Amino acid sequence: MLKNRRQSVNRPPTPDLTDDQAKVLTLQEVINIKLIESGEKEQLMELVREKLTECGWKDEMENICRAYIKKQGRNNVTLDELVRVITPKGRASIPDPIKAELLQRIRTFLVSAAL
Amino acid sequence: MQAQPRCFPRVSISPVSVALSTLMSGPNGDDMPSDSQNMFFVMLVVFPMSIVVCVQLALHVFGDLLDSIIVDVASECHRIVRLGLERNLDEEEEELRLSAQARARIADPSNNVEANGKYVVDIFGQTHPPVANEIFDCMNCGRSIMAGRFAPHLEKCMGKGRKARLKATRSSTAAQNRYSRGSPVSTYSPYSSTASINRLSNGNPRVATGECSNGTVEEP
Repeated sequence: MLKNRRQSVNRPPTPDLTDDQAKVLTLQEVINIKLIESGEKEQLMELVREKLTECGWKDEMENICRAYIKKQGRNNVTLDELVRVITPKGRASIPDPIKAELLQRIRTFLVSAAL
Repeated sequence: MQAQPRCFPRVSISPVSVALSTLMSGPNGDDMPSDSQNMFFVMLVVFPMSIVVCVQLALHVFGDLLDSIIVDVASECHRIVRLGLERNLDEEEEELRLSAQARARIADPSNNVEANGKYVVDIFGQTHPPVANEIFDCMNCGRSIMAGRFAPHLEKCMGKGRKARLKATRSSTAAQNRYSRGSPVSTYSPYSSTASINRLSNGNPRVATGECSNGTVEEP
């Protein structure tokens, strides 16, 4: 009973120090880690942001947001709702050249990362 | 995307290295390492990952990037609207439009501002009379006064004018009278001085200071 009183925190059981199962990462996770570590992900994000702002995609999305908020009332809209509203339209309205260029860069990176 | 990798069962080093070097546009731009064992390893890693998986992966990464960007855009918009920094939402838009209309009306040369009788038209199209004509009560004397005539009224009412000074000094010398009945002549008060005594002895039956009532005034 004394022992019980000393536990002030609910702690999950300590993991075994002996690592008998190696952690299996999916291929996607591996690639993701490599992307982030090499800094390529950051560069790609900046590139995409710049291109999408230039071509007006970002403004279109903002207009859709504002129209939705106006319809629903200013204080009734959550961020989740907004994201859910924009995502299908956003994905569909990416201009093709930007998409193609980005996919090309990613494929190049994948190949170089696999080696 | 190249087509050679489909024929990888018949593995030979050189076409593979050519294929791989054309694929690569890596940061250092090196050619493929020519070590044959390395090649073998590479083939084991790269080519089991077929083109389809490669494309799938690329699409997945692209989707990730896009999701992040979409969330950014949405959160920025959400923040601006919730903080009230968005000017164009609903009511403010009406106001902006009205003020733009008013401005247009001013800039419009067909509206003559000066020559419109006595009245000046302001940007909302209203005219104001030259003298303010709202009526209220004076807090000093209690009479109803027109706003445009209030300042002159206050002058008279509170003490700048002749009659007002009379009113004031009359009451103050009456008070002085009560105190100084039996005292000698030489007590002069600074304000109820010679001028007012003069006036009092003119038309007022009441004698202000008994000692000086003979009509002659001694100037100090």
